[in-house]
Amino acid sequence: MTPLKTTSVKALTYQRRDVDKGYTNQYLDVDLSAETIAIGSIEEKIKKTFIGGKGFDLWLLWHAVSGEKKWNDPQNAVCIASGPMGGIPGYPGSGKSIVTSISPLTGSVIDSNVGGYFGPYLKFSGFDALRITGKAQGDMVVVIDGIEESIEILRISGLPEDAYALSDELTERFSKGKKVGISVVSAGPGAANTRIGCLNFSWYDNARKRVRYKQAGRGGIGTVFADKGLKAVVARWEKVSMKNNNPADLEATKTVAKRHAREIVDLDPKQNEMARIGTTHLVPIMNDFDLLPTNNFQYGSDPRASLIGREVFAKLFDPGFDGCWKGCTVACAHGVKDFVPFTGAYKGKRVFVDGPEYETIAGCGSNLGIFDPFTILEINFYCDAYGLDTISVGTGIAFVMECFERGLIDADHTGGMDLSFGNRLNALELVHQMAAGRGFGAIVGQGIRCMKKIFSEQFGADPAMLQDIGMESKGLEFSEYMTKESLAQQGGYGLALKGPQHDEAWLIFLDMVHNFMPTFEKKAEALHWFPMFRTWFGLCGLCKLPWNDVVPEDNKDTVEPAKVMKHVRWYAEYYTAVTGNTATPEDLITMSEAVYNYQRIFNLKMGYGTRDYDTLPYRAMGPVTVEEYDSRHERYDAELKEKYRVDITGKETPWKVARLRKRREAQYETLKDAVYQRRGWTANGIPTVDTVNRLGIDFPEVLAVLAENGVK
Amino acid sequence: MITVDEETFPWQEGLTVADLLSKLKDGRSYAVVKLDGKPVSRPHFDTTTVADGCRITPIPMIAGG
Repeated sequence: MTPLKTTSVKALTYQRRDVDKGYTNQYLDVDLSAETIAIGSIEEKIKKTFIGGKGFDLWLLWHAVSGEKKWNDPQNAVCIASGPMGGIPGYPGSGKSIVTSISPLTGSVIDSNVGGYFGPYLKFSGFDALRITGKAQGDMVVVIDGIEESIEILRISGLPEDAYALSDELTERFSKGKKVGISVVSAGPGAANTRIGCLNFSWYDNARKRVRYKQAGRGGIGTVFADKGLKAVVARWEKVSMKNNNPADLEATKTVAKRHAREIVDLDPKQNEMARIGTTHLVPIMNDFDLLPTNNFQYGSDPRASLIGREVFAKLFDPGFDGCWKGCTVACAHGVKDFVPFTGAYKGKRVFVDGPEYETIAGCGSNLGIFDPFTILEINFYCDAYGLDTISVGTGIAFVMECFERGLIDADHTGGMDLSFGNRLNALELVHQMAAGRGFGAIVGQGIRCMKKIFSEQFGADPAMLQDIGMESKGLEFSEYMTKESLAQQGGYGLALKGPQHDEAWLIFLDMVHNFMPTFEKKAEALHWFPMFRTWFGLCGLCKLPWNDVVPEDNKDTVEPAKVMKHVRWYAEYYTAVTGNTATPEDLITMSEAVYNYQRIFNLKMGYGTRDYDTLPYRAMGPVTVEEYDSRHERYDAELKEKYRVDITGKETPWKVARLRKRREAQYETLKDAVYQRRGWTANGIPTVDTVNRLGIDFPEVLAVLAENGVK
Repeated sequence: MITVDEETFPWQEGLTVADLLSKLKDGRSYAVVKLDGKPVSRPHFDTTTVADGCRITPIPMIAGG
């Protein structure tokens, strides 16, 4: 190994401000171009409006970038924040960090949440948020040491490239004998060579004596991080206790934390068994309901799905406590030990794989026609090591495989590789190529939107077909749920601020399976309430899994079981206990609405954020091909006949595909109208002045953006 | 006897998950149940028979993801 050479670029000692009622009221500002470190204040008005977490990130990012700048401009920022409840041990899911930036994939605002300890350690060190701007000439490491009250920008040459080895090295180097006190944020070589780079957030698993990882995966924030010449950001802290956050009412905080944690311990084994099998429980369920993306979202099930489902991973996961935050009883961050890769730099060596979660299994498994858990594990492992988002990798390769099978591209374009569905070795080879920025993988790593342009302009592929089957919206690759038969989930993806990620709204079951929202108005109401409440978790430093992946036994008897209102009330109690600001469940929605609308207007500032950008590829709405139609012909025939009164007697399938398409595209437009109206937006999808006034985000710069877009 | 969500029902040959859930006032609302700890989804309720002495626990599968 190359010996490390360390140079101090800039250092700052400071007096740590203790957390008061969940806040430090400060942020840390690092500019790599100017080589400066500054501490900024968060004013009361900003705190009240943006709450924390993603809200603070967005506010800091807005004031870093102008609307004309691209993702790789030095102005662009990587912002990381926890939230007022972030860092409370014992309340399940209270260790989240939210990361925002301008995305290389979408050109607009991206946010991604991640577990682990970094956000809490940052806050305990004295900062509610971190903003990093500027660019340096590589190998930069920012170290935030809350114990010694120092911040330093270091240039360290000779560090390992891949995220595992890098985090191990930095954990060892900065821990001063206590590895649990270190959390490292890093990207990896793949982040530098693609637009789909993720960030790895580490924590030290003291029981297993190893560094563990979660990923802020979506939207290429790792690519921005690498482009800035950043190798890593390290946070150091010591003791974690509930008192670190200095809650307004410590006893009330303890009470509500204990209540929620206890309920999960009692009910999770009876329900989804997250503590044992994580989110893998979703694989067979999605398959049974024809919702598991298969072969680039063409189909929703496959008889081989049991080979990559919960029972397989229940056997593969290493038993033990797997919380990515102290005392979290959901404890879903499972991993596989002693896995031996059969390709790449780790070929033949025993490694620990953090994961896989449902998204990785579906994206890098069924959606590629791969039903081999070991290939999925290997793709998971290398994506993390390289700093690549497994969702964009999976959805991107799925697109490429369908293009290959349909003859839209051929072996001359792929460097001789057969990229048919199910080709495990070549799927892995593509991951290695992406990370190295070589061969056909260099193209795939640019994301589906770029691939569509290259395939049509340079390879002569049919652009209309590419548009229909390329599963991206706003430039972001779809996460791994089938939306064809759920109009509400089409809205959940198509109207999501950052692009098609399910963290805003996951309505498939409510809509398609339970038919809870039969009208446009009810769908619009759901596409208001759920995105708002889900946004709230990201403001507060919380994970949403404890809200509705384990639910009270009497929940089904409540008026609105889908909302799990008992837990919503607990969250209002939790917020009140920590911050001292009394909040009702309704208040939580209003808090989110302000930030949500601010983000929508931020999209507008960046040149997007109107109706035209809330589009979907047709495959997200219905069957593109005859084969897809035929695979669900009973459903589609019935829909044409009964819902739309179309006489299909004697008609060929292509005729029916076209008729169904016309109607489904029209109903999506009708849904947009209903949702925009419910959210207080114009018909063009822009928040009205009344809306921003009501939400208290009527800042001059916000009103100026609205005015520039004709909203006064 | 079969236990469904803490209620007991007599067993008979050929009894399916769907038959048992139809006896509950809210049985139609379930998308997934556990049959002796193993998940069974609604598309399989009609075809999954239950053995005497087994336990069925409905899973509230509502808003996940």
